[in-house]
Amino acid sequence: MTFHDASAREFPPFSTDLCIKCNVCTTVCPVARVTDAFPGPKYVGPQAQRFRGPGVGSDAPDHTVDLCSGCGICTRACPAGVLIAETNNRARALIVSERGSSFRNRLISDTDLMGRFGVPLAPLANIGLRNRLARWMGEKLLGIHRRGPLTTFARRSFRSWWKGRGGATALQAGVDPARTVVYFHGCAVNSFEPDLGRDAVEILERNGFTVIVPPQECCGLPFISNGLYEQARAKARRNLSSLAVFARAGYRIVGTSTSCTHALKAEYREMLDLADADASAVADATWDVCELLLDLHDRGELDTGFAPIAEPLPYHPPCQLKSHGIGTPAMDLFALVPGLRAVDSDHDCCGAAGTYGLKAERWQIAQDVGAPLFEKVRAARRAGASRAACDSETCRWQIEQSTGVPTVHPITILAESYRRADADRDRSWRRVV
Amino acid sequence: MPRADVVVIGAGLAGLSCAAELAEAGVRVFVAAKGMATTHWTHGGLDVAAPSGARSVREGIRRLATINAHPYQTLAADTEGAVTAHLARMASAGLPHAGTLDDALVPVPTAIGSLRPAAILPSAQAAALDEWAGEGIVLVGVQRFRDSWAAYAARNLASAAWAGGPAEVHGVTVELPGLERLHNIAPHVLARLFQDAGWRSRALAAIARALPSGAQRVAVPAVLGIEAHAEVHAEAERVLGHRVFEVASLPPSVPGLRLFEALRQRILAAGGRIQIGFDVVDVERAGRRVVAIHTEAASRTLRIGGDAFVLATGGLAGAGIRALHDGSLVERVLGLRVQAPPPDAWFSDDPLEPHPLEAAGIEVGEDLAPAELENVRVIGSALPGMHYLDERCGDGVALASAYRAARSLAASTAVAA
Repeated sequence: MTFHDASAREFPPFSTDLCIKCNVCTTVCPVARVTDAFPGPKYVGPQAQRFRGPGVGSDAPDHTVDLCSGCGICTRACPAGVLIAETNNRARALIVSERGSSFRNRLISDTDLMGRFGVPLAPLANIGLRNRLARWMGEKLLGIHRRGPLTTFARRSFRSWWKGRGGATALQAGVDPARTVVYFHGCAVNSFEPDLGRDAVEILERNGFTVIVPPQECCGLPFISNGLYEQARAKARRNLSSLAVFARAGYRIVGTSTSCTHALKAEYREMLDLADADASAVADATWDVCELLLDLHDRGELDTGFAPIAEPLPYHPPCQLKSHGIGTPAMDLFALVPGLRAVDSDHDCCGAAGTYGLKAERWQIAQDVGAPLFEKVRAARRAGASRAACDSETCRWQIEQSTGVPTVHPITILAESYRRADADRDRSWRRVV
Repeated sequence: MPRADVVVIGAGLAGLSCAAELAEAGVRVFVAAKGMATTHWTHGGLDVAAPSGARSVREGIRRLATINAHPYQTLAADTEGAVTAHLARMASAGLPHAGTLDDALVPVPTAIGSLRPAAILPSAQAAALDEWAGEGIVLVGVQRFRDSWAAYAARNLASAAWAGGPAEVHGVTVELPGLERLHNIAPHVLARLFQDAGWRSRALAAIARALPSGAQRVAVPAVLGIEAHAEVHAEAERVLGHRVFEVASLPPSVPGLRLFEALRQRILAAGGRIQIGFDVVDVERAGRRVVAIHTEAASRTLRIGGDAFVLATGGLAGAGIRALHDGSLVERVLGLRVQAPPPDAWFSDDPLEPHPLEAAGIEVGEDLAPAELENVRVIGSALPGMHYLDERCGDGVALASAYRAARSLAASTAVAA
């Protein structure tokens, strides 16, 4: 990314005139690497863009843009500053707005709806998610691949746990914004992985933060990825109106999914045209949880009393994290845990790309994209690793489903290390007494 | 926030080789680049110095060093060490080269059948350097691969003034298995196909059938594998029964991809860090020193602190320098003063003559530091005074300046530590 002109940030297709046709983007595209059906970012991006516009509809030359998984690697590789992935995402949205979307795509994008029905019915719903016949029917009836990376519903949502704990949900008088954070749990922690949310709260509180969990919905990224911008905007507006008051008051908003936090930081403005003061305030206030902890460490304020976890750990930085432009803070934090031998996968994409890898007609592409990563994770298991780590949920599910290796958020590892330290201290204290 | 001893800005040949040299010397190095760079656009050989009329690279360097304000006036002494270090690094990364600074510059064919002088080439291209002892050349094109035109190139080569060249020139275009089912046949796509052992043996068999009989060398588009290219090249020579050399095609250049990856791996293996995809948007200064750069991020910026900074962002073509509408030239990252001809000298009558603006760049001292900032080094094509396309010295200046900057910064880091 090199183009600082605000007009290109607000409307990425403006940047396509900068394309010099060097094809660097096509050499790094993980989808073009595995399927000839996708001509690559340049052709569906800067090349095709000049033929697109409102009203062109099906006359636009290249509907293969829908094969783009949205990983964003092309944008980062471009030496000329073309916002390729962002342009392609908007092109897909234009097609969807003119030709409509499948029921399947609207369903898998609506994660809040799934959670609303899935969590109360978790025992039953999870039987369905684990049942091969049900998954086979899901593929035949809905087009959700029977081996697509789906996880299971939590029996109790994160918000329900938070409510039971009496946790704060609103702005409070007299608290220090510098020592208080707003937790954006997103749909995945709320409905599928509440333990991750509890671990995050535990770590934040341990490091002196008061945590507030205001009302929120799914960030809307699944809708954005599927070109359903109107639905995404509705989610985004509700989130912004809930979060902006905190951002303005100087609170930091912290999330445990690098996908959700990237939506808050970038996609709301770049894709959804929500370039107002609320969106800017929220974007500026949003932090990935590892980014926040590393910032704390840089200031010498992180509790570094990590107990050893002596094991090899394959770590995959997800595409969405790479688009943050914050490096790989989890790797820096892992280095603080004695004995932990974390290794960066150095692989482009796991293939899942949110909902992409779920779709029956995309599943094989997603598997082929992630194959070298899966091989690295399996090799790490043969070398003694019992699990892998990754910062975004659908990538974790993809890696776990494809390799059988349990895959956790970096926070899970850090929380475990802190707990071991506490247990060790308790034991030695008891000995002294 | 990342912190490094040396922050290198730019990921072309100059930036990456400087970072590799530093990292291998134990210096903590961070490479920040706005995107992938010129490696992917080049032929993958080393253009150290080949001004017209020079018979060897060394003579070319000597001659360029006599040109007023040419980078080789100060860097000529570093070329030997720089090229030796680079070739050793590439060999250990699985990308060995042939040729030395003392070798004669010989004409080698290009993808369109013109000739360019070369002396140092990666091994997959190296058979083009040997004397043509009565052999013929067969240019192999691939049907449906739009960047290879064997018949056209052969026609051009046959009529080229190629003293000491091959006895005869043939061009054959070969149908490779399965390509009729593909839509996107780009160099890197073919290169990945060649890494598939089964496809490769069928493809090489198809090429073997198309070759005319007789003693000859075979020129193929530079698509013989990416990571496994040495193995693919060896098998090609074995199956075809002739020496085989690659000819770089239009971008994206597969030899350039290999070069980029070899350098990247060397830097990572030596503990360096690389961030590609984010432009520098702010610079923190303290007096005549740069303290940190800030790179663009999804929100806020990333502060990258360092003791020294290497500017390897390229010249006008590499977009390290931009021309503004008012006729001024600006260096994009640090705002350094650009030395350039006045706007009325920007235009020449002959479009094929060296362009006056090619010589624009950042004026530096012998230590490669600009006048304004003492802990900054400027390397590569951001240096002024050369016409690197015509003089074919871009890679040599990149390597020599990277080497000089890295050695002096590594020494001062060691002293500081």
